[in-house]
Amino acid sequence: MKLDAATTPVPPGPFVHEEWPYEPRFKRVNGWRMHYIDEGAGDPVVLLHGNPAWGFLYRKFVKPLTSAGRRVIVPDMIGFGLSEKPVREQAHSLDGHIANLTGLLRQLDIRNATMVCHDWGGPTGLGFALSNPERVRALVIMSTWAWQLPPAEFHKRIFPWRMMHAPLVAPYLLGRYNALAGRGMYLSVVDRKKFRDEAQSAYESILPDSGSRLLTWTWPRWIPLDDTARGLERFEWLERELKKSKLPTLLVWGREDEVFDQRTFAKRFKELLPHAEGPELVTGRHFLQEDSGAEIAVKINNFLDRIDGKQP
Amino acid sequence: MTEVEVIKRPSLDGKRSALVLMEDRIGHYPEFREFFIGRFSLDTNGLSKSGYIRGPSGTIYSLVFVGRSGEPFPDGLEVYALVDALEPLSEEDIDTDLWAFLRWMIQGIGGEWKVEDLDATGRLYQLPFLSR
Repeated sequence: MKLDAATTPVPPGPFVHEEWPYEPRFKRVNGWRMHYIDEGAGDPVVLLHGNPAWGFLYRKFVKPLTSAGRRVIVPDMIGFGLSEKPVREQAHSLDGHIANLTGLLRQLDIRNATMVCHDWGGPTGLGFALSNPERVRALVIMSTWAWQLPPAEFHKRIFPWRMMHAPLVAPYLLGRYNALAGRGMYLSVVDRKKFRDEAQSAYESILPDSGSRLLTWTWPRWIPLDDTARGLERFEWLERELKKSKLPTLLVWGREDEVFDQRTFAKRFKELLPHAEGPELVTGRHFLQEDSGAEIAVKINNFLDRIDGKQP
Repeated sequence: MTEVEVIKRPSLDGKRSALVLMEDRIGHYPEFREFFIGRFSLDTNGLSKSGYIRGPSGTIYSLVFVGRSGEPFPDGLEVYALVDALEPLSEEDIDTDLWAFLRWMIQGIGGEWKVEDLDATGRLYQLPFLSR
């Protein structure tokens, strides 16, 4: 399937893709319809995407993890993937998204979970882990952050980051043209040809209309740039609680990541969580799952085997 | 791409308002809100009047300012193309007019917000009409 999402009408319907053969499941959380997949049996591994992705980002992870005797849960954030997509910016908040994830995982009565956190799956997944410690046994952290300030230099610059999500510019560029799910993701992988041939349309087509793309510019607006930003208290809490965490943790980062560069962000996580393993570096920009999905899945399996005493 | 022109309220006879762009949070960067307050005298007009502009294609647009209790005004902005009531939009005209509107807005805001950065962002994301 090759789509130009900016100009091609996409009929609504089930998502069909040879690399995503999983049964769609839905739960009602906070009044929204949330999609997830639930595969395999064993201690659960919860794979959390960020902006503007959806569960498909983890397509290379599901089989290796289930084959190793683990249960894999991959939710789509409300606003992305096959989940319901609110059409007002005010529907979204960091606390709300943590509560959405909490609503899902409590309904599934998830326990002994490993939370795999990427991008906005970081603040949301860590928010769940730190407020539900009795349900979580380990963390895997990739290309994200969990503190107030300062953000990366990338996020402070007008071009392209702040201009892209500026008032009225964002609904034009990211709404009418789906710029983040299309060109934006394309620029944030290493093997761009492979991404364009194999995956890009799956991210573009899941956000077929301007109204379905709202969260692609709402999330950037939630990244704190100064001390007047929304969510500062939650980020302060995340950092404070993370410092206390003794959960086994694995850091995995893309060598080529320029959005959350590993020298700044993996290092900061390592300072907060000195017991963490890694950072283990793989080929990858921000969407490292696209370039190194299978390799990261092996790293997660090995990490969990070590926790379980199955590996030295 | 020619300039956007602020105009007086046009005749709406035989026209319909077609929503073409919607912003829920015009004050995300407060200087954007301030620009519209200044340009359309919103500190005195409040919700009583829409703004009107003419785009390079000649199409006229109304700017509807949205208030939300507890938030500075305006909180949102809706852009409507005023087009012949029973005729479909020219998507190409809307696209290029809206881009001209964004350039006009960024130029008016000024300071660290530069039209060159908007154009560079449009080129980075490969807006088709910028490569024509």
